[in-house]
Amino acid sequence: MAGKRVHIIKRDNGWAVKKQGAQKASKIYETKEVAKERANPLRKKGYDLVIHKRDGSIEEWKKASK
Amino acid sequence: MLNSFNTNVFINCPIDEEYKPLLRALLFTIYRCGYIPRIATERSDSGESRLEKIKELILNSQHSIHDLSRIKCQERDEYYRLNMSFEIGLDFGCRFFHCKDKKALILEEEKYSIQKALSDLIGGDPKCHYGDPKKLVIEVRSWFIEIGTEDIDGGSKIWDDFNVFYADLYKKKLGEGFKKKEFENLPIPEFNRHIKEWIESDD
Repeated sequence: MAGKRVHIIKRDNGWAVKKQGAQKASKIYETKEVAKERANPLRKKGYDLVIHKRDGSIEEWKKASK
Repeated sequence: MLNSFNTNVFINCPIDEEYKPLLRALLFTIYRCGYIPRIATERSDSGESRLEKIKELILNSQHSIHDLSRIKCQERDEYYRLNMSFEIGLDFGCRFFHCKDKKALILEEEKYSIQKALSDLIGGDPKCHYGDPKKLVIEVRSWFIEIGTEDIDGGSKIWDDFNVFYADLYKKKLGEGFKKKEFENLPIPEFNRHIKEWIESDD
């Protein structure tokens, strides 16, 4: 069973922050940097932050900080 | 009940590092749309000629996806690769002279490139992915709908699922002791097996 994760995924109009299992992205940001910045606090709530490259592969996996 | 001929999709695409991200997304999308990708690298037997293998894949696949992205040389003195053009010819030949009930999708990386380089295919309605895996997912999913496949999730959902699948597999493989480089170079049969298992476990 996977732990709680939030993914940063490429979209046509920017970068989506999406919790695993959610139907929709929480929000779409224009740049990846902003998406990472906004998603980072979720790590304190027990979420791993999975940052994807444009092709879907893994750029970085930041563990939950809680 | 469909037999494997009806669900097999012959893939004719570049086999190189640059194309690998597109191929991964393509394999996932085909499985996710309920079909089975068939590709020359799905098995390796030095005793089997590549041409025989391709012939068998074409004969046993009702569907085919031909990505003619390498229709233009990138550098001076680079040889133009003819494999993809040759294989689409074999597949279309099979369709014309042997099995009329075949369906094909032609993909290109640059809009109108096929029209310029292979004008015999004008009217074939190629779809363009611009070298972007997400666009490829959307185009391939749309094609499966256009040929009559029902109950397929939207392209964005399939793209998100691909990202989640990739993360799950990354964690699993690194947990098993794989190095990142080994993970990035998983052989096609192994990658395919994991896609199938992931989709089945998600059902």
